Amino acid sequence: MDSPLHTQLCDKLGIEYPVVAFTHCKDVAVAVINAGGFAVLGEALHTPDQIAADIRWIRERIDGKPFGIDLVLPSSVPEEKTVDELLAMIPQAQRDFEQQIKRKYDVPAPKIAPDIHHWGGLDQKRALDQLEVIFDERVPVFASGLGSPAFLLERAHQLGMQVWGLVGKPRQARRQIEAGTDVIIAQGYDAAGHTGNIGTFSIVPQVVDAARGTGIPVIAAGGVTTGRHLAAALALGADGVWTGSLWLTSRESDVNMPLKERLLEAETEDTMYSNCISGYTMRTTRCPWHDEWMSEAAPEVLKPPLQMILSSDYIQGSLDYQRKDLMTEAAGQGIHYVTEMKPARQILSDIVEEALDVFDRFSA
Amino acid sequence: MSSTASPHEPAFRSGFEPALCGVEAECDGGRPLAGTHLAGRQAFSGRLTGHYRDYGPYPWRWYLLDSLTRKPDGFAASAVWCDAESLYPVAAPGRPIEQSCRTE
Repeated sequence: MDSPLHTQLCDKLGIEYPVVAFTHCKDVAVAVINAGGFAVLGEALHTPDQIAADIRWIRERIDGKPFGIDLVLPSSVPEEKTVDELLAMIPQAQRDFEQQIKRKYDVPAPKIAPDIHHWGGLDQKRALDQLEVIFDERVPVFASGLGSPAFLLERAHQLGMQVWGLVGKPRQARRQIEAGTDVIIAQGYDAAGHTGNIGTFSIVPQVVDAARGTGIPVIAAGGVTTGRHLAAALALGADGVWTGSLWLTSRESDVNMPLKERLLEAETEDTMYSNCISGYTMRTTRCPWHDEWMSEAAPEVLKPPLQMILSSDYIQGSLDYQRKDLMTEAAGQGIHYVTEMKPARQILSDIVEEALDVFDRFSA
Repeated sequence: MSSTASPHEPAFRSGFEPALCGVEAECDGGRPLAGTHLAGRQAFSGRLTGHYRDYGPYPWRWYLLDSLTRKPDGFAASAVWCDAESLYPVAAPGRPIEQSCRTE
């Protein structure tokens, strides 16, 4: 009998297990791919040259196996002010509060100041420049972490590439299915960072229903950290799972050790859905910055990108000096089950074994 | 509308689609978050002006959504450029925006 874990996603990619690792670390990507899973490397912050170098680095280590690159294509862009104008818009009360937090927690100044001058007005141009590298390198899978990739489907397909789209609403899925996207990632509210407001258990079957009969695989995302999650996702009709937080603490991960320790200790309740980091609500691990901005003494959280400008020194300082007590990182609600620092191969193996146990139990 | 143009603004071709002028629409939008590797999802409702911009060789079309009746908390601007594939006409929410002029 075929393995219950062998799905159409496995056939479409030529992989053994329907587990996709989303990571910003090349070493994690290579380890997962060589262990029989699939990996998508997040390159949203990198320059075209860096992306090209990373693609070649991965290719040299995976013996022709497929891999993916994820970019955050924008899908709505306000007309912006200049950085100097933005800086002038930060009120004194919020500046004072930021300084008060820094003093209270002895937050170190960053070794290199965050480069806020590269933060605005570059959305479309940056995305187009990055996309050219993806096309030049004929990356097997291009994944769009936010915007619809429909506009580039024709060119990508001509080059033999697959295009994946990540959606947070059923109507986004229907639109992308009609456009011809090759794989749909249905992301629930449980996920790290910014998400839609529909829970994973609710959105996945709706997207599966929308894709029924099309031959387009659906991947479940948001809070997936165990084999039970994998088995549940397949039971909901998904063809695989998209995992992110799971790999942050792997041996291969380049996340620094104090932050790994913080993530390993974190409980679901330690992931906060708050706007105090960037001005937009996002799910990250709780830190003193959250505590202070949620207190009664806190001034109003500023509009984006002002709040991100305000928090950037705190975040960069905590990373530069590896202050575990100050650090925060995007993490999903499944972080409760991330409790050991294991090699990526072992993490994948554990998920697969647990999922198979679930299926054995039900078939017994 | 806040209107300070970025010095890094890429080349694009501007145009106007009169059939979309005044069409009520929603946008399941978002963009990379400044200073992070994260995406920021943002939903908008408003009225299309009919103005569009085409970026890149594909083309990648963007429409201007103005008179915003819904925008994220903290969103400072009163208008937003939206990727055509992320726009949904209120009158026919399942259809691509370019088809909305044929639905009315």
